[in-house]
Amino acid sequence: MNVVGRSLPRLDAREKVVGAARYIADLTRPGLLFGAALTSPYAHARIKSYDVRPALAVPGVVTVLTGEDVKGGRFGPFIKDETVLATGKVRYVGEPVCIVAAEDERTARRAARLIEVEYEELPAVLSPEEAMAPGAPLVHEANADYFRVHQTKCGGNLAWETSFAEGDVKAAWGQCDVIVEGEFETQAQAHVALEPCGALAEIDAAGRITLWSANQSVFRVQANVCEGLGLPMARLRCLTPRVGGGFGNKMEMHVQGMTVALALASGRPVKFILSREEDFEMVRHRHPYRIRAKTGAKRDGTLVAREVEVVVDCGAYGDDSPGVLGFSLLMSRGPYRIPNMRAHGRLYYTNKVRFGAFRGFGNPQVSFATESQLDEIAERLHMDPLELRRKNAIRKGDAWLGGGLVQSDGFVKCLDAIGRTEAWQKRATQRAAPATRRGLGLACSSHISGLLATGAVIRLLEDGSIVLNTGAVDIGQGSDTVLAQICAEALRLPVEQVVLASPDTDGSPYNWGTTASRVTYMVGRSIVAAAKEVEQKIKDHAAAMLECATEDLALRPGGRVGIEGVPEKELSFREISLRAHWAAGGPIIGSSSLMYDRPTVDPKRTVASGVPFPQIGVFSFAATLCDVEIDEATGKVTVREAWSACDVGKAINPLSVEGQIQGGFAQGLGFALCEELVWDGGKLANPSLMDYKVPTSLEVPLKVHPLIVEDAEPDGPFGAKGIGEIPICAVAPAIANGIAAATGLRLSRLPMTPERVLRGLLEEEETHAD
Amino acid sequence: MEFYRPETIEEAVALLARHEGARCIAGGATLVAMMNAGLAEPAALVSLKRVRGLNGIERHEDGSLGIGAMTRHAETARSPLFREGQRVVPEAARRIANPPVRNMGTMGGSVCFADPAADYLPALMAADAVIEAVSPRGHRTIKIDGFITDWYTTALVPDEIVTAITLPPAPARSIGVYEKLDRVTGDFAIVSVALIVEFVRGECRNVRIAVGGCGPAPIRRPEAEQALEGSGLEPAALTEAGRLLVAASDPVDDVRATAEYRRLVLPRMVAKAFARARAQAELAA
Amino acid sequence: MSALKLMRLSINGRSRDITVTPQETLLDMLRDRLDLTGSKRGCNQGVCGACTVLIDGEPMRACLSLALDVEGMEVVTVEGLGSGNTLTVLQQAIIEHGAVQCGFCVAGMLITAHALLRDNPHPSPEEVRAALAGNLCRCSGYGKIIEAVCRAAEEKAA
Repeated sequence: MNVVGRSLPRLDAREKVVGAARYIADLTRPGLLFGAALTSPYAHARIKSYDVRPALAVPGVVTVLTGEDVKGGRFGPFIKDETVLATGKVRYVGEPVCIVAAEDERTARRAARLIEVEYEELPAVLSPEEAMAPGAPLVHEANADYFRVHQTKCGGNLAWETSFAEGDVKAAWGQCDVIVEGEFETQAQAHVALEPCGALAEIDAAGRITLWSANQSVFRVQANVCEGLGLPMARLRCLTPRVGGGFGNKMEMHVQGMTVALALASGRPVKFILSREEDFEMVRHRHPYRIRAKTGAKRDGTLVAREVEVVVDCGAYGDDSPGVLGFSLLMSRGPYRIPNMRAHGRLYYTNKVRFGAFRGFGNPQVSFATESQLDEIAERLHMDPLELRRKNAIRKGDAWLGGGLVQSDGFVKCLDAIGRTEAWQKRATQRAAPATRRGLGLACSSHISGLLATGAVIRLLEDGSIVLNTGAVDIGQGSDTVLAQICAEALRLPVEQVVLASPDTDGSPYNWGTTASRVTYMVGRSIVAAAKEVEQKIKDHAAAMLECATEDLALRPGGRVGIEGVPEKELSFREISLRAHWAAGGPIIGSSSLMYDRPTVDPKRTVASGVPFPQIGVFSFAATLCDVEIDEATGKVTVREAWSACDVGKAINPLSVEGQIQGGFAQGLGFALCEELVWDGGKLANPSLMDYKVPTSLEVPLKVHPLIVEDAEPDGPFGAKGIGEIPICAVAPAIANGIAAATGLRLSRLPMTPERVLRGLLEEEETHAD
Repeated sequence: MEFYRPETIEEAVALLARHEGARCIAGGATLVAMMNAGLAEPAALVSLKRVRGLNGIERHEDGSLGIGAMTRHAETARSPLFREGQRVVPEAARRIANPPVRNMGTMGGSVCFADPAADYLPALMAADAVIEAVSPRGHRTIKIDGFITDWYTTALVPDEIVTAITLPPAPARSIGVYEKLDRVTGDFAIVSVALIVEFVRGECRNVRIAVGGCGPAPIRRPEAEQALEGSGLEPAALTEAGRLLVAASDPVDDVRATAEYRRLVLPRMVAKAFARARAQAELAA
Repeated sequence: MSALKLMRLSINGRSRDITVTPQETLLDMLRDRLDLTGSKRGCNQGVCGACTVLIDGEPMRACLSLALDVEGMEVVTVEGLGSGNTLTVLQQAIIEHGAVQCGFCVAGMLITAHALLRDNPHPSPEEVRAALAGNLCRCSGYGKIIEAVCRAAEEKAA
């Protein structure tokens, strides 16, 4: 292969290093106004009245809108429960209530603060436990009436309920020689993409709206805004400038609906960029989880049964929460052959900012519980934790929970890769520095790549070069480059001859979104199929021009096609394309529409309910190893070095894959040790980078070794599948297992702050002293 | 908002006296952050960047140091003029925020903002620093241990500007150590310990300990220092010193840690600081 | 609305006369008045580092510098690092070693690393790591950025 498998520099790297890349905040339009929002000071309150006159009186203010002015419908990916502005009542501190457009940003913000809103405060529910209590205040009175995309139990503050069951868990406990049970708790984590959310909307002379925004899917923006504002989708064109990271924060609506509303009302283009604090308070975060897990095994290490029960905090609106709930349960069996399995979870509305998609999508939370528990089993059985996992490892041909087909042996290969590291081989001789304890911790994970729909259109330009249009947004993870590589390889062209069309709801075929680690696999597959169509059409022309059969023809590198075995008989793509454009056939276009179609659940083997995705699959695997050091005086945990083996099927761009592995590790490190959103009543106590801390270059170990494992996925493009999320999923349990190996202390709550570790160590000391 | 750029300290204090609600801006790192967040809307700003005589670190013959109030943390951090126990101050400077912010922030600005979890205050307290200030009424000196009067509050009056911080010479052969516990590098301290100590044949002399992050001002207690004076760092002595410092502390719960954890870890941090000081002393010997 | 004030300073080697308001930060001025949007606003609190520029040769936060307070000084932004179409050795290394993902942190990283290599032409990986501790990156885990800076140093020395 010429292009696939090569670590080509990113196509957009140059513009970024010279400061020329344009992100949403860098865009401007003639006559631009700036948007700002007044947000709710209450967690739960009825809106009684608005007085916008003080804001309208400020010089430079052009438009002021309240929830009464912005009529539309309810939107939401799974539950249609949200409106563009709060209507009737507010459900979380930070919820947008009124919006202002003014000549400059300072004026807009100042004016917004002058709007007088009268509230009647209502009792709030601030946790799932409060939400589920009998007689609890209702976050959504109309909960049971909301349209839901899939069937589920709901009512009161219960937003969604999902379960999977295979085998006979109840009976299976009796077959176990060792059973471990525990409760775990994970915290809300903030995405902290370096770029805050923002949008810019402009109405053209025909009344059509053009909307640029930082997003992970132009199509989700279009659907959400049109549903929220009651607009026909043909009226809204959604585009994407460069995006400064998303990690899930930009997959669904943020300020786009408000921005369009202001543009429509004022008749002028409006730009609305959130401050960092607003990004924390207004948008979305990773779901807090409570997990009860129970795992049973035989004396020889064979895993027999597992039960996982989760209670998930939804926040004030559904957003992607049902998906997160369902996915976390689907992943809770882990990459192991456990014949008896029950996973059940409930999602509760609370009066806090909504929780939504964040790299891992519920998997990091449940993996913290299940992978910690697996090490506990290993310890009870005096088994090596790697060998316990290998013994039960899922393999090619096995069924996933629900019945999905596993088509790679990548998991065992990941275990092998970790087993081969010097650190693992020499683990018995590892020594701690003075006043510290040291331990190696291993944990594993799985993820998916196949979900929902996408398309690809390839057009041969007159000169033989290619325009590739998929609609997939590159949020910085490098999909533009990878997709160009796949297309170039499929047509044996140099990558310079492939240009990617920018995602555009007017012209791009469709891509559900840059999420779920799905772009390489889904869009890549689509591109390969579209390229086949282009290849066939090229050959049809060449057969006519060279007077041969299409079967005798083969593509040659550099944009040529010729008769196999006859070097002189060849034509360039340019010659063929000119014929197509001017003489016969019409422009050469290849297209593909793809829906991931393998069912999540085979009802003959699994009883499931409330499943939020009827079709999901393409399983990938990872094993993460952390060399963990604990300061005995303070309890502070440092990861000295880490190894992350990830099964990607085929690394289209190895350097990019490594970057994803290392970046995912760093976010997992933050999740494990230092990141935590804290509420003071209904209000976030640390909605700023001063108070919410992410790992710096001095927290992430200098060496995070990415170990790429390639076990070709049969229908992946060139064997490839996803990498975006799996590197984060096993980091927290790997560190927890390292702490346990070093000190015997088992932590069941994240983050594992110095305080929690030190308290745990001192309690252990006291217990042993008794 | 008016913006002034005086060139002399007299001009600067006159501006503060004339404009109610006027604030000084030194490096700007803290004040501009507050203005950006809408937490400060000064009626007027007096920039100290062009005022003569506020820059530079000078070492006097007797070993004392004069540090201009506008000295950036980066300069303090790398200055070779701090000797012996005085080195606790540049070590604290090296732990403030991050390199670009250290190019901006000043010792005077930091000391006047009086953040209890900031790094200079415990170090300056252990070093017995003296604050020099000028107002329209003239010049005065304020000892560091009376300088912080409450949370984020100093003994300065509104038309007074800090011009320099002076450090007396540290005891000969003393070691200065700054120990900081933070969530991530560059965060404010959960607890910090500034220590100056001399080891004579394994015994502690001239012990000075100041603890940050555990109350409105750094804590220094002569009794705690006495408990360790002459000791060889026996567990009983360390425990007693720790107990006295904890008793004098008044920590709060905040997003960085609980008050209970701060009390728990304070004595351990003191022990850690001493262990490092002793190791340094042994190396030097 | 505050009165506009005229000031002069040097931006990327050129002397500029610009009107600003007293509350305006250097970052606001660069982005909104001069269309130098390479420096980014990630937090406006000086924590994330995406706004880092050189002021009189030292890396500092543009979001924490009042424009008026920078009068008479020399400011260099990411747009001023290379010349014309030529990338610096450092910029080239950042591209080649896979250190660019979303790109939002890159301007600040380049400015800080540029000053580091000027003052310390042979930094160890640990020194690079420490120098970049004030520039947050959420995409890369820092590894490839540190590698790229080390390789750039080697190449410049060769």
